[in-house]
Amino acid sequence: MFARPLFPTTCVALCLSTCAAFLWAASPNARAQQPPGPRFESHIAPILAANCVVCHGEQLPQAELDVRTRDALLAGGKSGPAVVPGAPVDSLLLQKTASGAMPMGETKLTAGEIGIIRRWIEGGALLEGEGPAGTGPGPRRKVSPREILVATVHVKCVLCHGRRRQEGGLDLRTRESALRGGVSGPAIVPGDPDSSLLIRRIQAEEMPPQEHQARLSYRPVTSAELEKLRSWISEGAPWDDAEPLAVDPNSDPMVSREDRRFWSFQPPRQSSPPRVGSQDRVRQPIDAFLLAKLEEKGLAFAPEADRLALMRRAYFDISGLPPSAEEVEAYLADRSQGSYERLVERLLESPRYGERWARHWLDAAGYADSEGQVDFDAVRPHAWRYRDWVIRALNDDKPYDIFLTEQIAGDELFDYTERGPPLAPEDSDRLVATGFLRMGPDGTYSVSQGFVAERLTVVADQLQILTSAVMGLTVGCARCHDHKYDPIPQRDYYRLSAVLRSSYDPYDWLSPNEADIGPDADWNQTNTRLLLGAPAADLEAAARRNAPILAEMQRIAKDLRTLPAAVRKRLLEEKVPSVNNAALVELRKIVSEEPLDGIGTTESPAPDSEQVGEVSYETAAGLVDSYVEAKLRLATEPKVRALFDMGGDPTPVHILYRGEHSNPGPQVGPGVLSVLSAGLEPYTVQPLAWSSGRRLALAKWLVQPNHPLTARVIVNRVWQHYFGRGIVPTEANFGRTGTPPTHPELLDWLAVEFVKRGWSLKTLHRMILTSTAYRQSSRVDAASLEADFDNTLLSRFPLRRLDAEAVRDSVLMASRRLDLEPFGPPDEIDIQPEGEVVAKDSPQGQRRSIFVQQRRSKPMTLLEAFDAPQLKPNCLRRANSTVASQALQMMNSEILRANSRYMAGRVIDDVGDDPGAQVRRVYLAALSRPPSADEQADAVSTLAQMTRGWTRRLEEAVPSEPVTMKARWLALATLCHTVLNSAEFLYID
Amino acid sequence: MLQSGDCGATLARPDRHPTRRDFFSRVSDGLHGAALATLLGRDLLSPRSAAGATGRRAYDLRPRSPHFEPRAKCVIQFFMNGGPSQVDLFDPKPALARFEGQPPGRDLANDIEFINEAGGFMPSPYRFAKHGQSGMEVSEVLPHLARQVDDIAFIRSMFTTHFNHEPAIFIMQGGRQFSNRPAIGSWIVYGLGSENQNLPAYVVLDDPKGLPVNHLQNWQAGWLPPVYQGTRVRSEGSPLLNLQPDEEYPAPVLDLARSLLARMDRSHRDKRPSHPELEARLMNYELAARLQLEASDALDLTQESEETRAMYGLNDERTASYGKRCLMARRLVERGVRLVQIYIEGQIWDNHADLDKSLRYACGKTDQPIAALIRDLKRTGLFDQTLLVWGGEFGRLPLAQSRESGVSGRDHGPTGFTVWLAGAGVKGGTIHGTTDEIGYKAVENRVSVHDLHATILHQLGMDHRELVYSHDGRNERLTDEFPARVVTEILKS
Repeated sequence: MFARPLFPTTCVALCLSTCAAFLWAASPNARAQQPPGPRFESHIAPILAANCVVCHGEQLPQAELDVRTRDALLAGGKSGPAVVPGAPVDSLLLQKTASGAMPMGETKLTAGEIGIIRRWIEGGALLEGEGPAGTGPGPRRKVSPREILVATVHVKCVLCHGRRRQEGGLDLRTRESALRGGVSGPAIVPGDPDSSLLIRRIQAEEMPPQEHQARLSYRPVTSAELEKLRSWISEGAPWDDAEPLAVDPNSDPMVSREDRRFWSFQPPRQSSPPRVGSQDRVRQPIDAFLLAKLEEKGLAFAPEADRLALMRRAYFDISGLPPSAEEVEAYLADRSQGSYERLVERLLESPRYGERWARHWLDAAGYADSEGQVDFDAVRPHAWRYRDWVIRALNDDKPYDIFLTEQIAGDELFDYTERGPPLAPEDSDRLVATGFLRMGPDGTYSVSQGFVAERLTVVADQLQILTSAVMGLTVGCARCHDHKYDPIPQRDYYRLSAVLRSSYDPYDWLSPNEADIGPDADWNQTNTRLLLGAPAADLEAAARRNAPILAEMQRIAKDLRTLPAAVRKRLLEEKVPSVNNAALVELRKIVSEEPLDGIGTTESPAPDSEQVGEVSYETAAGLVDSYVEAKLRLATEPKVRALFDMGGDPTPVHILYRGEHSNPGPQVGPGVLSVLSAGLEPYTVQPLAWSSGRRLALAKWLVQPNHPLTARVIVNRVWQHYFGRGIVPTEANFGRTGTPPTHPELLDWLAVEFVKRGWSLKTLHRMILTSTAYRQSSRVDAASLEADFDNTLLSRFPLRRLDAEAVRDSVLMASRRLDLEPFGPPDEIDIQPEGEVVAKDSPQGQRRSIFVQQRRSKPMTLLEAFDAPQLKPNCLRRANSTVASQALQMMNSEILRANSRYMAGRVIDDVGDDPGAQVRRVYLAALSRPPSADEQADAVSTLAQMTRGWTRRLEEAVPSEPVTMKARWLALATLCHTVLNSAEFLYID
Repeated sequence: MLQSGDCGATLARPDRHPTRRDFFSRVSDGLHGAALATLLGRDLLSPRSAAGATGRRAYDLRPRSPHFEPRAKCVIQFFMNGGPSQVDLFDPKPALARFEGQPPGRDLANDIEFINEAGGFMPSPYRFAKHGQSGMEVSEVLPHLARQVDDIAFIRSMFTTHFNHEPAIFIMQGGRQFSNRPAIGSWIVYGLGSENQNLPAYVVLDDPKGLPVNHLQNWQAGWLPPVYQGTRVRSEGSPLLNLQPDEEYPAPVLDLARSLLARMDRSHRDKRPSHPELEARLMNYELAARLQLEASDALDLTQESEETRAMYGLNDERTASYGKRCLMARRLVERGVRLVQIYIEGQIWDNHADLDKSLRYACGKTDQPIAALIRDLKRTGLFDQTLLVWGGEFGRLPLAQSRESGVSGRDHGPTGFTVWLAGAGVKGGTIHGTTDEIGYKAVENRVSVHDLHATILHQLGMDHRELVYSHDGRNERLTDEFPARVVTEILKS
């Protein structure tokens, strides 16, 4: 770190200027005539050893400050140098001790000790034997090499002089290669900034090149940066070549033994279900754990829920849809033993299960069909493959450990670079799965928001998704500083981010999609974060679709090429520059392929030449338009929105103080949280031929059977989706600021059992769905209200409101307009003049909400009203609000009214004219139960009156038209609308 | 329709006014006016028992006491999205003439978004003159506002940290460039609730010609409970989305539907005692009904005199749209709405090209209405309790920006720009802070966005350090961990 200055004159000049103030008498025998005053070894070191070294001395010192040597004090820690010789006021060591901020415990330094430190710093911070000018510590270097390299060279140079490109043969990543330089000679001449090409080219404003600034999101080197670069070279251009901080997770001083003992950092403990009083109500071990706590309070489970209420509950929980009227009737008729269990099995095997539960996972993953962040909110044309992968994985009950591994490191499970494209479907799937860490907002395709700061935010969002969804921890605080509450030092955050560095390198960035492929397509084509790993079938389908369009384009291209030079020249000047970017480059090429000056024209076929010569400019421009139009009709080439390693050595990862890339701290390597080491195999990277192996190592570390968090976090979230609240109620925060589990033994039992039974989610679902706890009624009695007000003990089943997608999907289901076609590109949305965002209709109706385009900036209004989350970046617990916009939406929106009319029409189709049968049908379809006799009578009579009301309206409106059938239909529609507005429709018992 | 059907019908047929009995017919068995009023606008379904130690139990819009005696009861914010040019409006820089045409150096280049289009320094085409007792200088393109300078305090030394709209707007709204944070408006109503439970607490009047950059995210509640999100109120057509159906059912059918629903819901609730969410849902349909009534009344500008309408420029095509929203803002704060934000179409202050034409358009649209609102608030006595805030997400560079064809404009300038405040507790006729001699960078008494936020909260009686919300185990603030200082220099002592 503290390389001696290599250039003697500078050194002497600087030392003199600093030391002049102290006017030591020069003496040939310094030791003998050592000036008076404190010395480090004898005066300072003992004070520090007694008070400070306990925290600032080990291998991983607090605040990165080591106080054991004078040089270390001069170097300082994350807040800057601890000692500035001759300047006690600027020395943090004195500031902190004198103010009492340090040491942190009860014992502070005495006034005498503080006085010694002050005098020592005033006297030049000397060691034994030092004294006269020139023998004390040199002045603190003006610039830290780390700052130069990380904040300037990495940000503004290595993109073109680094891993992927070495423009002019120059690689600025190491001191050696910088000194060696490129074709024009060495970039750096240590000690001589004026001879260093680096400085000269920057000074001449040749570097970084202006012509790429806008497109590649960098800006010139500022004069302050240039000044620092000069000083740094004057000082010999020392490199920050310290090894990454070595972190032994088992002895990290920032993480105490007590920290590690916190319940969620310890592996789940095996336990057996307790014996309880009412053993007859124990259907599943789950019940025993819950009953034990209930019985402590003198409570029991609520009675069994009504059969149809339970049916409706299970339908929504498993499939997110209500049963059809026929299914309700059939279930009512089936009184045989085990009908409920058979229902549960049927639902878990239904494709609807994956569609429902994928929604929960997609919330956690931050899935959207657009990039977000930037106003333009570019569409992600390939994200849906990941959505489909999740649905299929859940329907296939892919074991959760594999489910996770493929999402974190599917590309590191096999050498995709050897195999494709095209890939076999199962290989393609593993690449698609890595879309998990590609789902957060990413606006970096926009050149004005593609700077290093925004790129770091993309990575930070992905880390939040990973840690909150998979590990149940909030680590975001540690992006800027050591976590205040949990034992997560800032360096752990950056070690975790180093796991992603080989695929997300903020200093050598890839564009998230291909939307920005512009005039310089060459660069961009190698610069996109999409893989050509789609399955062969998709590629073939796209090729089939595109073949005729491509043929058409070739025909047009041929016509364009044979146009007279003058026309082509004019096209090139006037028409081509304004065409859609997608076709710009190729059109420019086509039109200018033949020479544009006189020579080319003579070669045109003679008989046609006159005719062609008369081809009007307008006709020629029309050809250009048809070409562009055809180009835009081409199906997008199937690609995979994957995460993959970029190859080579990524830019080193530094701790960034305050999260700022201009404020770098020490370098760190890939790793995981130190606090999670109990009983675990450590995180170990095994490099692969085609990839760094960093993410695969993370996946392997996470899916260890005894991992303290992985299984607990997922079983807790599954629990949350059934009971409205997790056993740990803060589902995304298992740390110290989270809420401890209400039933710790149950949580551990579930976690252990889940792993033992092969990480099978469906098995977990079955355990819950067939438990007494799940099957109890939602009715509240006085005793349970008194003793279990918040229902934390589950003395009853919670009454729940349908969530956003369930509201929309059940309205469509009730009106029989739900198109169950799964998978594929999402359906488009439509923005109505008033601003309401709806799904576009197709002849088949509308698809489930999960298959409708999710634009971050344009959520469907109905979903938004019912708390569909804005995924920024993800969501683990949706809000559950009751606000006026919901009532307005249900009462007045055309969606509800139109669907009510469809619903009425379908009811008439199904059961005919009989009002009694109609009312029964409406109840079955909307509320999953038949009406009681009173309800039926009430609705039938209301329907009759409504029909009269509509008859009068229609007679007044268009007297010449027949009214009776229309009035009956509209009255029934009004009745349907009324029922869809009822509390019973919106709430599940 | 349905439960609030009376109101829908009323709008179409003014002869039939809804009665209290209509409103309460469905809830006559238990909930009456007083109880109802406190429940309106309240989100009963968010007990958030998991929200952590500092979380409140109920998140609602009932009025809450500020931390100390406030100067302002409400805020009207003129959100001038796009980035109005300080050197052409409020911050005269005669020195620019000396540098005309000279290219910017390497440092300035770091703050230029469209780096390929950057030209040389460009003096303002406008004359500035001193106005009012204070003699504050205002550009000739703001003749109406110029007459009100003694009511206004300029902060000429604002700065922000991003030169692109989206992040800079996020910073101006939520304090950081991240898109998930609550907007300042949401913080204000989270802190103070609202004086009127029948209207939204936080009203957004957007321009019928288009939403600003970041769209609905400008008034998002972020991770605050959704009840604190801004409510978009349209100045044309139906003021709230789905406030009325496209076509209402015949009145007798509507009544039948409403009473059937009432019977169904009452019976549903009665079978499920002790479920407050069901009660909340009933209340919610009530609020929807009241909203329909009161919003329609509040936004009915025909109740204003011809003189007032003319003052706001409602009779002039150029000013009518913005004037209408300024007048609506006055009527809303009169009724106790806590915060009204007025946005303008797309990016009219984003004068990249043809500075003179585009800037005159933006000024022409807004100058007279804003001056009228100041005068009108003073006339009605509301000026002293209403804080007015005018400003964009940044300013503009003193350079010319040239695109392939056309006349020069200016690129975004985040390092120094002007915002102004007026009204409640603001010392009119004050200028705070300065930019350098070319108007590029704030140099003296620099004011950060967090300082501005702290100042706005302060005028409302809130300490930015005390207004906290526990999120993900962290006590979050509008000003986050940034050092923020109330700009006391522009405030009355």
